[in-house]
Amino acid sequence: MQETSQVATQPRISREFTFPGDLESMVAARQALMSFIAPYCSSEIEEIDIFVALQEALANAVLHGCQNDSSKTIYCSVEIDPGAFTIIIRDPGPGFDVDAAMQSTEAGANTTTHGRGIRLIRSLMDEVAYRNGGSEVQLRKSRAAASSVA
Amino acid sequence: MLKVDIHAVLHTVTLHCSGRIVLGMEAEMLRCMAEARNEAYLMLDLSEIRAMDAAGLGLLVELHCRALCRDQVLTIVKASRRVRRLIALANLHSVLDVAEAGVGDLEDGDEARPPLVRHSLSA
Repeated sequence: MQETSQVATQPRISREFTFPGDLESMVAARQALMSFIAPYCSSEIEEIDIFVALQEALANAVLHGCQNDSSKTIYCSVEIDPGAFTIIIRDPGPGFDVDAAMQSTEAGANTTTHGRGIRLIRSLMDEVAYRNGGSEVQLRKSRAAASSVA
Repeated sequence: MLKVDIHAVLHTVTLHCSGRIVLGMEAEMLRCMAEARNEAYLMLDLSEIRAMDAAGLGLLVELHCRALCRDQVLTIVKASRRVRRLIALANLHSVLDVAEAGVGDLEDGDEARPPLVRHSLSA
């Protein structure tokens, strides 16, 4: 897990991370990301919403973008300003058919063991944008109680 | 981190889960522990679960289907508000058997009887 830069100018704070594209590294990455984000959450619910969405996005990047291959690298950035949390996760994979995935997740009850991640992310975040054919996702969650960034 | 306390009484076993059910060791541990139980009634007490991801929700579906195939009854009891919300967001409330809090109190009536098995594991 590598923190590549930090910008702490008021009233916005941001940090960039890179980590290997395997599940073991993902756990450490998630922990590092949440350690950075959690102090700025106004409630446990807000923190858990971000945790779950982040977990899904990281899992997609590791499992689909990197095929759980530690030789590949996932890039992540977090930006916190008084209005929102913005998280970008980029993997080196070919992406996926975003529209098809969106449609399948909107179908009725999913009784398979997979295919809920995107729906969860969309439910828990205020804005979700896929770029580069799906290999980059930007998550945005408005801060419930806008407080100044420490 | 996930901690699971097992409480077995006659034909019922309750897995008291606390922590997180997420992709990786946590979900795998719960899968192994649930699949190892042969009691007719399998209850998952999720009152202390703080977070669950899509892998955790998928595991609940998997255990539900497996229980059906084995003539077991799988019931989710005492699900926290967070867990119920995630189940609803995933549109699984019509699939999973999620009991209201009172159903999970079944063990309270069995306090006089010592549990056959009681131990805990964590991952």
